[in-house]
Amino acid sequence: MNRRSLLQGLSFSMLAAKLSSASPFYGQAEPQPKTSRSISANDRIQIGFIGPGSRGQELIRQLLRTPGVEIAAQCDIYEPRFAEVDELVGKKVPAHKDYRELLQRKDLDAIFIATPPVFHAKYAIAAMKSGRPVYCEKTIGFTPEDCNNVVDATRRTGQIFQVGHQMRYASWIVESVNRVRKGDIGEPTHVYGYWHRSDNWRREVPNPSLEHLMNWRLYRESSGGLLEELGSHHIDIANWVFGERPQTILGTSSIAVYHDGRTVGDNVQAVFGYSKGRRMFFSSLTDNGLMADQVWIYGTEGSLQITLEDATLYKQTSKRITEASHSDVVQKGVETGASYNANSEMPYRGPGYRLHPKPGEDATRTACGSFVDCVRNKQQPFANVDVGFGSGIACSIGRQALYEGHMEKIPELRA
Amino acid sequence: MDTTMNPATQLYCTTHPAMGTEYSLYLYAGSHQEADSIARSVFQEVDRIDGLLSNYQPSSELSRINRDAFQHAVTTDPETFRFLETCMAWSERSHGAFDISVGKLMRVWKFFGASGALPSPEEIARAREDVGWEKIRLDTAQRTVRFLSAGIELDPGGIGKGYAVDRAVRILRAKQVPAALLSAGSSTIYALGAPPQEAGWKVRVPSVLLDGATASTVVLRDTSLSTANLSEKNFVHDGHFYGAIMDPRTLQPVEGTLQATVISPSATDSDALSNALFVTGPEGRAQLLETRQHDRALIIRRKQSAQQHPIAAEYEAIRWPADVARESATELSSAREE
Ligand SMILES: NC(=O)c1ccc[n+]([C@@H]2O[C@H](COP(=O)([O-])OP(=O)(O)OC[C@H]3O[C@@H](n4cnc5c(N)ncnc54)[C@H](O)[C@@H]3O)[C@@H](O)[C@H]2O)c1
Repeated sequence: MNRRSLLQGLSFSMLAAKLSSASPFYGQAEPQPKTSRSISANDRIQIGFIGPGSRGQELIRQLLRTPGVEIAAQCDIYEPRFAEVDELVGKKVPAHKDYRELLQRKDLDAIFIATPPVFHAKYAIAAMKSGRPVYCEKTIGFTPEDCNNVVDATRRTGQIFQVGHQMRYASWIVESVNRVRKGDIGEPTHVYGYWHRSDNWRREVPNPSLEHLMNWRLYRESSGGLLEELGSHHIDIANWVFGERPQTILGTSSIAVYHDGRTVGDNVQAVFGYSKGRRMFFSSLTDNGLMADQVWIYGTEGSLQITLEDATLYKQTSKRITEASHSDVVQKGVETGASYNANSEMPYRGPGYRLHPKPGEDATRTACGSFVDCVRNKQQPFANVDVGFGSGIACSIGRQALYEGHMEKIPELRA
Repeated sequence: MDTTMNPATQLYCTTHPAMGTEYSLYLYAGSHQEADSIARSVFQEVDRIDGLLSNYQPSSELSRINRDAFQHAVTTDPETFRFLETCMAWSERSHGAFDISVGKLMRVWKFFGASGALPSPEEIARAREDVGWEKIRLDTAQRTVRFLSAGIELDPGGIGKGYAVDRAVRILRAKQVPAALLSAGSSTIYALGAPPQEAGWKVRVPSVLLDGATASTVVLRDTSLSTANLSEKNFVHDGHFYGAIMDPRTLQPVEGTLQATVISPSATDSDALSNALFVTGPEGRAQLLETRQHDRALIIRRKQSAQQHPIAAEYEAIRWPADVARESATELSSAREE
């Protein structure tokens, strides 16, 4: 079946189910997911939310715009979040300081996890064991062990698991990847991603004792730095394009500007190796004045640029350069003159073919809506646990490579 | 440097473009650093509201509602829903003088993203279907919005800046700023606390007739002031002046009112009420203000003089807390008449 026509007019959950069975990368058939309470068509999906910080509150906002959803419980170790969530939801949401307390409740249908990444695996596994589908922010684990354990738990419990790679739900990115896989730019050989910030990546902290809780991104014990926080989305796109996970990583990282006590780099360059000599390159740094986030996919017959707003496909000019001539050049001769032509010094790709998002499309809202559909219809999401493993394992091994400055092999999924 | 040792005695000022205008913030803080950090959070909140309610940004929640609410009931977040409830309450209270469903009307009169042009009578007649707050249905239990007519388009122009100011002032209060003045392009202003040794923040209400002249100066503390007038967008056709404030009931730009200024504890309310008072006639105004004992208004209308001279004005002050310089206007009109 043609993948593009398959994408048209299908809901994302249908799409998710089809893609997961159609592609070897999305793993074997999984047991039918079980949930703790049976959900009938008119029931509102009751959501328990762990870690409603900045990303978490954005997810909650999008869930509140999704029909048939209730934010039924929240958990955070930082109590001021509770009032923020109550305000957002417009009513008091029962609050818990310990995730185990939240998971003990019997009235929840699905669990969202948006804590810092060090807790993802532990909380996600506990939530699945408690019989609930999980939406877990990226990356699914902090260590290689974590990543494997989350996959194990998903297989063992048969639970629905979605990772926070919302770019998988952005229509213009979906279409880009489908065009690449259909051969529109020939064989894709390279994915180049950059995400260049223009700030210090630091959060203002109301009180110094909260530094590590709020600026967890800046410290090695709690963060894989820019590679994990920003690069994971691009690595996922490369995995999607190449249809596999990377096998090696070579990387480097340093502090070039912000000598302010952080222990992760303020800039990162990493090269991931895929089969058949294919490569993915990621760069992130702190000083930038133009479009901050771009992914380029290069193929043997063209290239494709993806931004957070649109995508553009550039085709190489046709390889055939001669054609049958019917001119009278033989009779009349040719003229002589000046030869300089500025345009021929640097061949220009031309304006390219634009792929636009649907008006007002928000990938996070689509991702949340699709997850809720999956919970109702008991289907595995498109951004399933294999997708999460792909970026998670690359980032956790990548972290070691960046710090130690040598090439690391990325292991396969544990047997 | 320990900022807690610094009393907030230095005045800082900053501006920020948003909602098609420029926001200005004056605030007292203990250090530049502190002022910067407060201003950032304030403008972040303004941008957040813009991202929620803008009818110019296709990604806003309001735009999503505009696109989808005729096709199906749209589930929205509690904040947007409460905002829409407030809008509907103002429509009801003002018998439709205030109405956020004027989006199509603004387009027909080319006031959307432009400065206006005369539409054909057929275009106006066609807009009738697509305007009217009664065609917006809110379902509180489901938190959904639904339009009963396909062409309904919400335009938050008469209340959105006020709402953004209210939300931003919450941030100032949470950060315990002792004194600040926040202005949304001067049409909505909130005065928080008072500058040192002052009773409040002075705000000048301009005379509409004479450039640079002041009709009244009020001193405000912990309250808001909004002004509706036609200085922003307008056009002249065949010697007739058309401004960008619409009467949703006649589908025409309002005639006769030159300016309406309202003082109210809530900026959302002063914004909406100034627009409602601008639109509605004298009985409507009296009725509206009767139920709002905490609100004050100064309305400037064109005087219906025998010679139809365009620049004579009459002033209507309701619980207005300061003097109004009516003379300057009269002097001006007689001066010009010579
Ligand atoms: N998908 C995306 O585009 C995207 C964007 C931003 C962040 N994220 C991810 O979301 C996650 C959170 O990022 P953030 O920026 O919201 O961080 P944050 O610090 O703003 O929020 C994390 C929240 O978790 C709470 N928390 C910390 N430890 C906890 C624990 N043990 N139990 C319960 N709550 C705990 C914190 O108090 C905070 O409220 C990260 O994994 C990040 O990578 C994803």
